[in-house]
Amino acid sequence: MDKTRVIKFTMKNSTAVLFVLIFIMFGLIAPRFFTVKNFQNIMSNASYIGIIAVGMTFVLLTGGIDLSVGSTMYLCAVVCGKLINEAKMPVLFAVIISLLVGVLIGSVNAFAITRLRLVPFITTLITQTIARGFGLFITRSIAVNYPDSVTLMSTSKVLGFIPLQIFIFLSVVAVAAIVLGKTRYGRQLYAVGNDLESAKKAGIRCDRLIASTYIISGLLAALGGFVTITQIGRVNAGFGSGDEFDAIAAAVLGGASLFGGIGTVFPGTVLGTVMIEMIQAGLVFANIDIYIQPIIMAGIIFLAVFIDSVRTTQIQKLERRNILKA
Amino acid sequence: MRKLTVLFVVLCLLVPTLLFSAGGKEAKDDQITIAFCFQDLETEFWVAGHKAITETLRENGIKVIEKNANEDANRQLEQVKDVITQGVDGVIIIPQDGESAVTIAKACNEAGVPIGIFNRPPSDKSAKNLVVVADNEVIAEAAVEHMAQEAMKLGRKVYPAIMVGDLGDPNAVGRRQGFMNVMAKYPDLWAHAPVEIPTKWDANVALANLQSAMQANPKIDFLFTSSDFLFPVIKSVLAPLGKWQLVGHPNHVILGGLDGDVTAAQLLEEKYLDATGVQNLFYEADLMLEAMLAAIKNGEKTPDKWMDDPGFALTQANLDTRAEEMWGWVLYKEKK
Repeated sequence: MDKTRVIKFTMKNSTAVLFVLIFIMFGLIAPRFFTVKNFQNIMSNASYIGIIAVGMTFVLLTGGIDLSVGSTMYLCAVVCGKLINEAKMPVLFAVIISLLVGVLIGSVNAFAITRLRLVPFITTLITQTIARGFGLFITRSIAVNYPDSVTLMSTSKVLGFIPLQIFIFLSVVAVAAIVLGKTRYGRQLYAVGNDLESAKKAGIRCDRLIASTYIISGLLAALGGFVTITQIGRVNAGFGSGDEFDAIAAAVLGGASLFGGIGTVFPGTVLGTVMIEMIQAGLVFANIDIYIQPIIMAGIIFLAVFIDSVRTTQIQKLERRNILKA
Repeated sequence: MRKLTVLFVVLCLLVPTLLFSAGGKEAKDDQITIAFCFQDLETEFWVAGHKAITETLRENGIKVIEKNANEDANRQLEQVKDVITQGVDGVIIIPQDGESAVTIAKACNEAGVPIGIFNRPPSDKSAKNLVVVADNEVIAEAAVEHMAQEAMKLGRKVYPAIMVGDLGDPNAVGRRQGFMNVMAKYPDLWAHAPVEIPTKWDANVALANLQSAMQANPKIDFLFTSSDFLFPVIKSVLAPLGKWQLVGHPNHVILGGLDGDVTAAQLLEEKYLDATGVQNLFYEADLMLEAMLAAIKNGEKTPDKWMDDPGFALTQANLDTRAEEMWGWVLYKEKK
């Protein structure tokens, strides 16, 4: 493999390369970081943000944004908890209803954006406030505790070795990756994100497509909310607050463009999500001063996004040289 | 069609607004009106604090205007300016952070409206205000001191860790300092420097970081959380490791917290928890009300007074004698 090929390969997979480098770096600082158990913890903790980030990737692909996911998580988790605790509803039904609440919020976003022609940023900012408002109204700001039957789910294993939350995350990723990469729907999403007008001229029903991404985002936010409550067992008023930005950061770190048309769920968003969680875990493992941790965290994310932004130009340059050589 | 849609949306917004409107109840001429502006009610502690203040005010025949800033310091400033223009007699705030407390207090000073700052101290003393705060450092130190005494009984070195709150919150900083004071007091008791686990007052962050800390330092057997609301998270991490055990069990992690909430009360009773620092909410609410009413009656526009709640540590040792002083214990018994 010649030097140019190596550089090109590194450039094309910069996020993955950085991911491996960070993993090795923290492993060298704290050898326990290399354990399977630690990687399982990282994956487990990344699961809920990862699920939300997958939904966010769908929205970002169309050039939109969904700021309501954190509040959607909160409202859905509140509804689920109330149904289990007060209506004594079986967990499965309560979860299904809470997922439907997520779909409903996504539908409101979709309706406002595609029918009322409101800007996604403002629309989802409004639904963010409304969803949290409803949640606070229902709970009166009092924390909702979940029974052991729910929290025990976080310790259950699928096929005897995959923690439930990781299984749900990987299932969501698998379905999303297939939908985006192998279906007409996925190809149309990229087309809409790349050039809306051209997509319309090509006969794609853009509004319906865009609407579907917000509904998917709402559904996955609700699912992400449930996954995290199985781990923490309690929903208080701050639950999910700011998680929309973590989801956006994960998707963008994984290569998604805020302007639409670019991005993948796998490996993109998955790598972005796990990388953020890995850096946070690594900082704790290395016992870095807690006042320094946010600076290092932000620095590494900046570096990753910076490398990602310059790589496209560099790849184009390298390819141009190859064409000229040929 | 589009007009109909817009009309439908407007109706959807208007109907609930009218349904849930409290109506325009005007205060009587001689009735004192106090605005209570709080940053949010994200934990049981703040919910109980909110209840203690509003009930104390209303019991004293005071009209209360409530404003929730939803964790937005700028919004809180706007809300305070808004209530000032409504002509309130005084303002009580639970600020988002110490910096915004100063800014808001200065706005009240300029308007000549007495302001009280509840439970989260201003970052400096450049503004004039009534301040009621728990001495977080002293209370945390008292709780951790009990934990250290329990650790000494083991006759070996222990592995300490602290779950630190949001570093922008003076309460979190004070609690961390209280913990560190005990670390410095008994240098020979610790097997290593304390592991500091950031939580940002977020259960998910706390969960992830505590798991990492336990993975990196599996011998941790002395854990202090800067807020009781994180106990469910601690349980979910320690239980799978076989470390969620009763006091006295060989695998028991010496456990302490601060706030004195309902969960802490339950864990103390069940003997999972060694100690928790308690802020005397009801005492704090009374102190604030007395100082505010005195200022209003004396016509003081910019009263300036700092009032400390010394608090205390409720431990397994004094549970029988002092439990009733803890607000969370009272609520726990009511729930039971």
